[in-house]
Amino acid sequence: MRTLQKPSPRAVLTQALKQIICIGMVIIVILPILLTVFAAFKTRGDMVNTSPLALPPQPTLENFKEVLTDKYLLIGLKNTALILVISLFFNILLGTITAYIIERFDFRFKNAVVALFFIGMLVPTFVTEIARFKIINGLGLYRTIGAPILIYVASDLMQLYIYRQFLSNLSTSLDESALLDGCSYFQLFTKIIFPLLAPATATVAIIKSITIINDMYIPYLYMPGNKQKTLTTFLMDYSNAQQGSWQTLAAGIVIIMLPTIIIYVFFQKYILAGVAAGAVKE
Amino acid sequence: MNSLERQRKLFILSFLAIPVFLLVCFVVFPAIDLFRMSFTNWDGLSPTSDFIKLDNYIAMFHNPDLWQSLKNNGVYFFVHLCMIPVELAFAVLLNSKLRAAKFYKTMVFLPYIINGVAISYAFSYFFSPVNGAFDSILETIRLGMLSGHGWLSDEKIINFTLAFVSLWRFSGYHIILFMAALQSVNQDIMEAARIDGANSWQLFRYVQTPSIALMVDFVLFDNIRGAMQVFDIPFVMTQGGPGYASSTFTLYTIKTAFTFSNFGLASTMAVAIMMIIILIYIVQNKIIHGFILTEGK
Repeated sequence: MRTLQKPSPRAVLTQALKQIICIGMVIIVILPILLTVFAAFKTRGDMVNTSPLALPPQPTLENFKEVLTDKYLLIGLKNTALILVISLFFNILLGTITAYIIERFDFRFKNAVVALFFIGMLVPTFVTEIARFKIINGLGLYRTIGAPILIYVASDLMQLYIYRQFLSNLSTSLDESALLDGCSYFQLFTKIIFPLLAPATATVAIIKSITIINDMYIPYLYMPGNKQKTLTTFLMDYSNAQQGSWQTLAAGIVIIMLPTIIIYVFFQKYILAGVAAGAVKE
Repeated sequence: MNSLERQRKLFILSFLAIPVFLLVCFVVFPAIDLFRMSFTNWDGLSPTSDFIKLDNYIAMFHNPDLWQSLKNNGVYFFVHLCMIPVELAFAVLLNSKLRAAKFYKTMVFLPYIINGVAISYAFSYFFSPVNGAFDSILETIRLGMLSGHGWLSDEKIINFTLAFVSLWRFSGYHIILFMAALQSVNQDIMEAARIDGANSWQLFRYVQTPSIALMVDFVLFDNIRGAMQVFDIPFVMTQGGPGYASSTFTLYTIKTAFTFSNFGLASTMAVAIMMIIILIYIVQNKIIHGFILTEGK
C-alpha cells in the first residue's frame, strides 16, 4: 500500500515547493481584490494617512451606506435582473431546440445551417455593433432593455456547443422507443430530451448569468439613460461621479463584484465543467 | 410522404426558423453590411451616404494612430503568448499530487468570473500614482527605486500594465482549459507507459503533449482573437490615453464610429479585424493540424 508508506524526504520537498508556488499564485489573485476591500472600509482620512497595504484602523461602513442608498443602484439591479431572466429563458429554449435538431436530425441544408452558426462564432464581438446599431435603432429598441436581450439571444452561441456535446453522449434508443410509442417530435422534445438536458442547462444558465451580469459594452452603448443603467454601467457612472474619492468607489467595486463571486462559490462545479466543454468543440 | 415524415419536416422547419432568422438578422447580416459600409462615407445619421470606392481603405492604411493601436494589440498578444508555457506548467502542477489542489483551482479561475469593469477600477486604484498599492509593495520589498513610474500614464509602460491586468484576468481560464485537456488523456496509456519505464518528462512529451495539442491550438487562437479585440480594460482604465498611447484596434474602431461619427471608416477597420481573425484561423488550422497529423504517424 503506497499510501501507508512514510513519504520520502524528496516527496516532502517537492510538495513544499509546489505549495510555495501555489500560495504565490493565490497572493497575486487575491491582492488587488483584498486591497480594494481594505479601501472600502477606510475613512477619507485613513485613505491619506495609512498605507494602501494597511488594514483599516477604524473600519467604517459609511462608504457602503453611501453606495447602497444610491437610488440608481436599485434601478441597475432591476434592469440587470430583467435582462438576465428574459435572455436566459430564450437562450435555453432556442439553444436546446437548435442543438437537438442539429444533433439528431438529418435534413437538407443541415451543413449550411451548421456552417452559419460556426460563422456566427467567428464574427468579432465589439465592432459588429457598428452595423448592428442601425438595425436595433430601426426596430425602436434603442434605449430599451430589448436591445441587450435581443443581442444576447441572437448572437451569443456558446450554449450550442455545450448542448450539442451533451446530446452527443445521450443514447438515441430512448428517442426511438418514444417515437414507436406514438410520441410526436414535439412531445419527445418537451417530455424526454429537455428534462434530460437539465445538467447542461444548469451549466448554460450559470455561465450565461456571469457573462450577462458582467457585460459592459452592450448596455453602455444601447442604454445610456440614467434609468437604463445595469449593475455594471451603474458602476461606470458612479466612478465618474466619485473622481478622486477612492474609498466610496472601492465600496461600489466590492458591491458590483459580489453577485458573480457568490454564483461562482456556489456553482463552481458547473462553471468549470461548462467552460472546458465550450472550448473542446469536437 | 407518410405522416411521420411530414411531421418531422414541419418540426425541423418551425423550430429551426427562429434561431436561424435571429442569427442571420443580427450577426450574419451586420457582418456583411460592414463590407458595404466600408465603401461609403456614412456618418451614422444621414439617410443617405456616398459610395467613395477605396478611400476608407487608403485612409486606414495611412492612419498612424491606428498603427500605434495595432502595435499595442501586439503587446497583449506577446505577453499572453509568453504566458502559455507558464499556464501549461500550472495546469500540470494543479493536476499533480497536490494538497489543497481544489482550493487552488478555485482561486486560479476566480479572476475570470469577476466583473471586468469592477476589476479594472480596482487595478486603477492598485496602480494609482498617489499612495498607490503597487508602489507601496515595491517599497516594502525594497524595490522602491522602481516606484513612482506612472504605471498608467507613462507611454512606455502603460500597455504592459494593462496587459498585466489582462493576464491577471484570463490566465486562469487557459489553465482550466489545459487542465481539462490533461485530464482527458487516457489513464491506461499513461499507466502502460509508466510500467514501460517512461519518466515524467517522457510522459509529458510523448503521451500528454500530443493529446493537449488541440487545446494549445484553441488557446493560441483564443489569444489572437482576444488580443485583436482587447477593449474593456483600456476603455475603462485609460480610455486609450494619454493620446493614443494605450489605444487598441477595437477601441480606436469604436471611437471612430460612435465618438467621431465616421461609420464608413470604422466599418473598414471592422472588416480588417474580421479578415485578420479569419486569416489567422485558416493559417493556424493548416499549420497546427498538419503538425498533429505528422506527429501522430
